[in-house]
Amino acid sequence: MNFARRLVVPPWAWSFLFAALVLLGIFATTHTVGTGTIGLALSLAPYLVMVGSGQMLVISAGPGNIDVSVPQVISLSGFVAVSVTSGTGSITLGLLAAAGTGLAVAAISVIAIAFIKIPPIVATLASGLIASSFTLTFANGFDAEPSSALSEFLRLRLAGIPVIAIMTAAFSVLLAVALHRTVAGRWLLAAGQNGRAAELAGVPTAWVTASTYFASGLLSGLAGALLATYIAPTADLGTTYQLDSIAVVVIGGTLISGGRAVPAGVWGGALFFILLDSFLNLIGWNLAGQNILKGLLVLAVLFLAGGTAGVRRGARRAAAPTTEQLDIQPAADARR
Amino acid sequence: MSTTTTAPDLVVQVRHASKTYGPTRALSAIDLDIRAGDIVGVVGHNGAGKSTLMRLLAGIEPTDSGTVSVAGRSKSARGGFPGARMAYQETNLANELSVGDNAYLSAVGSPRGARWRKHAEERILSRLDEMFPGHGIRAATWVGDLSLAQRQMVEIARATLDDDLRLLILDEPTESLTGGATEALYDAVRRMSAAGVAVILISHRIREVLEVAHRVVVLRDGAVASEHAAAGLTEDDVLRAMGGSDVEIVLPVTGAVSIDVPIVAEVPARDARTGTARPIQARRGEVVGLAGIAGQGQEVILAALWNARERARRRVKKAYVPGDRQRSGILPLWNVADNLNITAMRSLGRWGLRNTAAEREVVDRWVHLLNVRGGVEAQMAGLSGGNQQKVIVARAFASDAELVLLDDPFRGVDVHTKNDLYRLIRDEAARGRTVVWYSSENAEMRHCDRVYVVRAGRIAAELRGQEINEERIIAESFVIADDEEVAE
Repeated sequence: MNFARRLVVPPWAWSFLFAALVLLGIFATTHTVGTGTIGLALSLAPYLVMVGSGQMLVISAGPGNIDVSVPQVISLSGFVAVSVTSGTGSITLGLLAAAGTGLAVAAISVIAIAFIKIPPIVATLASGLIASSFTLTFANGFDAEPSSALSEFLRLRLAGIPVIAIMTAAFSVLLAVALHRTVAGRWLLAAGQNGRAAELAGVPTAWVTASTYFASGLLSGLAGALLATYIAPTADLGTTYQLDSIAVVVIGGTLISGGRAVPAGVWGGALFFILLDSFLNLIGWNLAGQNILKGLLVLAVLFLAGGTAGVRRGARRAAAPTTEQLDIQPAADARR
Repeated sequence: MSTTTTAPDLVVQVRHASKTYGPTRALSAIDLDIRAGDIVGVVGHNGAGKSTLMRLLAGIEPTDSGTVSVAGRSKSARGGFPGARMAYQETNLANELSVGDNAYLSAVGSPRGARWRKHAEERILSRLDEMFPGHGIRAATWVGDLSLAQRQMVEIARATLDDDLRLLILDEPTESLTGGATEALYDAVRRMSAAGVAVILISHRIREVLEVAHRVVVLRDGAVASEHAAAGLTEDDVLRAMGGSDVEIVLPVTGAVSIDVPIVAEVPARDARTGTARPIQARRGEVVGLAGIAGQGQEVILAALWNARERARRRVKKAYVPGDRQRSGILPLWNVADNLNITAMRSLGRWGLRNTAAEREVVDRWVHLLNVRGGVEAQMAGLSGGNQQKVIVARAFASDAELVLLDDPFRGVDVHTKNDLYRLIRDEAARGRTVVWYSSENAEMRHCDRVYVVRAGRIAAELRGQEINEERIIAESFVIADDEEVAE
């Protein structure tokens, strides 16, 4: 107990440590120390970081909050962006359309959560389903080509580092600053820790929660547009982002029960997952095995995070762990 | 599992027990003996070490040095000392489970098969019936849906369900109970004592302790300051032993806010006798009390004030101080500073950006003013209840709210802290703030300019200045059958 309390490690450090370990594994397996692996990871990470950052905001809004419409938003906005851009010739319009798509799907989720009081996991599942119906309509006989200018930009590198990664990193820094230095950021974290207390302290918790879903929709929409340009618009473009977006958030040190958001950790988590994919491919694991390992990793992190947080926060008040004080709260709380 | 040599009826034996948390020395070299059938009152200011001592006795935490033995055992099992049970002030129930399920969770040796649920429900209900007749609790109800008082009853009743109960610790058991339930509880405590159970009663309500306990142990700064036989002991004796300026202050209250002063808050209400409309109003700079028996609608009035959208004109800035601090007050991940400035930061900053320098100043001032133990950087979840309450009160008053609503916030707070907070309320009112204050303790209402006595959601009486006293409030709180019109 004392050990855990004295040991002050920033919550994002673990994810970077894991990523470094996997990188070492790759180096050991290939017997080469190359920057190529890192460069590849850095060109794939920005999309996952964008989506993960949105997910982080949602999760930080408190127990039960989660956005599982992310993969469908990515796929749909990918199609929307590519078709708008190829139709109008404007990259900006394409990106705006993708952002609008994300916001529209988020609006359905928010209405369901705020007004019909549907638990977020079900509400976002439903709005994702609606989005995927549109995706299927689009995908049928889709022949528009992604903008080559945008595609070139996404491959642009500065001193070996993808420019998009630098931009996303700058966004993460801004997000971290905003969470600590803006009133809205503090409101979000207060609402995530104890919604009732935040409400009585004057925090407009309903607005705060709703804006996280809009932020998640917006970021997933943008990520979808870029990803469709970088790879290709397909109906299952976003599929892997379902688990990954949640996993990188919790591995990065954000509390699944809300109230603590760690933007830097999303980067650590994203790099870890992307490097892990390369490593497992390298040593010949099949997709099923990779998915089982990832799933177990998330469970392990949640288990460990719950354990240590319980020790830390329960240190003096161990006597009375009411459910409010526990870090991991059952999602069932959402029915309130 | 080691045993120590103890006298046969010695239930608790503490020798030189010490405990430190980080830099805080919570207990230093405590000695304590409690025999079977003893009722021992443990009193002391917030942070005197009461809760820490109880955690050691319940076997939830080990001592750093010295020994603690309970019922002949000096090492606790995983779930604490067998035969020692504690009912927590801030109840230790799972809100997402039913009353019966909660009873089962903490039961030792209940049947495991299909019958466990029925068995647990029967046991907790029959114990509740026995201890708190007329409790109105059903075994299938979710704990989260119970009132604070009912949760407290379940917590206490559950703690007594141990078949081999040797030591029962009650931590501020009556803070949220009504008068009748309090009497019923103490009758039950006396019966248990007669049956040989040792009972420890922790309470800020010294009068209750003196009525029930055989012996009073006074803790001060983590040590036993003195021990007294309860017979012949007065409240003043105990307060003096606790140290500090201890008698509740009475501040001069004029009760005379001119009717020219604008009304800041208003909710529609009805007169209890005539049934005619009689709004509850609070003027600028006024401290308005809502008194009466707990649960007569005072919380509803506060909620109406909090949710009210002012007709036209400008919006009145409001702040709310909840009484149920664990559920509705603390932000557990943050420290004192973050907890304190969450309401004020909006008006201190500009364009949604925080002004951290101004915030720091505000926090320093309030932490100093209310003397929050542990200071600005202390973790909120680690503070004692009284100190948490100070921070939550400061949160409201540090903001620029014109109207501050107090929802019985001083439960489980010691006299020392209360005096600071009473003075604060008067000072803030003098600066033009309006305070609407619900309290279940009638004595607190002396600090109001005006008091509405609430009965069944209606106004039974309105007292001003010198008219405000406990006798009047109590008299008005109860129905006088003759002049009461038939309830709807």
